[in-house]
Amino acid sequence: MKSWMVVLWPSFLMAGVAEGVFFSLVNPQELYLLGEVVDYPPLAAYSIGFLAFWALCSASSWLTCAMHTNAEAVNHLPPHHGVHQ
Amino acid sequence: MSTPPATPDVAASLYEVRQKIYPRAVHGWFATWRWLFVIGTQAVFYGLCWLPWNGRQAVLFDLAARKFYIFGLVFWPQDVFFLTVLLIISAYSLFLFTAIGGRLWCGYACPQTVYTEMFIWVERLIEGDRSAQIRLDKAPLGANKIARKLAKHAVWLGGSFWTGFTFVGYFTPIKTLSFEVVTMSLGGWEVFWILFYSFATYGNAGWMREQVCKYMCPYARFQGVMFDPDTLTVTYDVDRGEPRGSRSRKDDHRADGKGDCVDCGICVQVCPTGIDIRKGLQYECIGCSACIDGCNQVMDKVGYPRGLIRYSTQHALKEHWGWRQMLTHIVRPRIIIYTVILGVIVLAFVWGLGHKSTLRVDVIRDRGTLAREVEDEQIENVFRLQVMNVSEQPQRYTMSVSGIESIAINGPTEIEVPAATTKSVSVAVRVPEHSAKKGTNTIYFDVRSLSDDKVSVHEKARFLRP
Ligand code: SF4
Ligand code: SF4
Repeated sequence: MKSWMVVLWPSFLMAGVAEGVFFSLVNPQELYLLGEVVDYPPLAAYSIGFLAFWALCSASSWLTCAMHTNAEAVNHLPPHHGVHQ
Repeated sequence: MSTPPATPDVAASLYEVRQKIYPRAVHGWFATWRWLFVIGTQAVFYGLCWLPWNGRQAVLFDLAARKFYIFGLVFWPQDVFFLTVLLIISAYSLFLFTAIGGRLWCGYACPQTVYTEMFIWVERLIEGDRSAQIRLDKAPLGANKIARKLAKHAVWLGGSFWTGFTFVGYFTPIKTLSFEVVTMSLGGWEVFWILFYSFATYGNAGWMREQVCKYMCPYARFQGVMFDPDTLTVTYDVDRGEPRGSRSRKDDHRADGKGDCVDCGICVQVCPTGIDIRKGLQYECIGCSACIDGCNQVMDKVGYPRGLIRYSTQHALKEHWGWRQMLTHIVRPRIIIYTVILGVIVLAFVWGLGHKSTLRVDVIRDRGTLAREVEDEQIENVFRLQVMNVSEQPQRYTMSVSGIESIAINGPTEIEVPAATTKSVSVAVRVPEHSAKKGTNTIYFDVRSLSDDKVSVHEKARFLRP
């Protein structure tokens, strides 16, 4: 639970910032996505944008979390106990 | 291989099991203030989206139209600068308030505190106070328990949906949204965001509560940087309270070598984050002052002076200062610097808002048509003018061009733009061949409102002569 919170929440905040900066500079209606004009309704474009930013930022937070564990914890992660026995 | 050693502490602390906290109800001066803040902030949040203004919603972040309306002001994406300054102002105010009075934001105004407070209030109405709740949770599953739990979650969910609906109502006009709810014609993304916000409210205020403050809040982590020994925080007066211990009413506890703390544990029971403030300042403390109210009630009952737990500063506690002395130390260089910087930014912001132009013009050279020669030995360039009327009334503008001898617009020079709209016009500019030099020439467009001379824009453009 806690590790989920530490990953999802900071990335949510950063996704909010990214969304604000990106879409105030760029109008989604003027974008080309894979060569085609983005013709989704605005709310859809903004929502997809936000979720994409959130996913990216989560990946980054998750990596930070993963890097943050020390060697001991990595070597003896509980789920892999069976392998050593 | 041998059996691996036990899971190290680091991992263990990550998976630490949470003990459910049952905060005990508390009454008093600070509790009253907290409730006033809950009511105030929520009256604004739930109410403001219904307020009309100039025939539209007073506060609306209209994503579809890319315009933010805040009462009489209309913000366009180009105004992102104002938004940035607003964020800087909020951050600075937070620093200032924190340096003066600790985590006032957390204790009184943070949505996490406010919604948790409301959810706990519902919980108490349905399940009873702390001891009743603990008993109910321990009791085997029976009709009474099921009924109460169901009722609680139903009310929580109802409140959460209303909150989610209100939230989305700041991005899609709330009247349209209500109509769509009633006729069951909500769009998919609207449903998604209403549910998203509802479940976030339900989960955060109903289930996670203090864990949000302990594990998710970035602000809590920076309190060490923002506090100094002259910051007012909720503190336990160790010198007065210790050695703690229970006693009988008749004893003279001073003679027995005891302090004023009767070790009743009320301060721990009322604490929403479940900490013991007597251990000193901890990052889990959200500064809600519930323990102050709680302990004051105890002090009243046993007939000792109030304020064993109170707002105080590290310095004041150490030097045994009175109120007056403590307050004079609160005005310190840090506070003065913060206040001055904040004041300057706020003034600049207000000035900027007051002088925000209601007209904006972008000049784009028409990419399709190049410079060409037309009749009477003239050169013509076609420009595209994007004229934005940022005001809330329709406007007529006149356009003129200058910068080259005998330069003129070929075609109509007046344009009408409806309220809060952008109109794009194609403007052909002609110059006699001899007056422009070969290559690029700098020219200027002037767009002026016909009703108000002061509303005008002077824009640079490039005129090409082949
Ligand atoms: S409420 Fe006051 S008297 Fe009771 S334990 Fe806490 S500090 Fe001591
Ligand atoms: S220690 Fe006191 S002020 Fe801090 S969170 Fe607990 S009850 Fe609130």
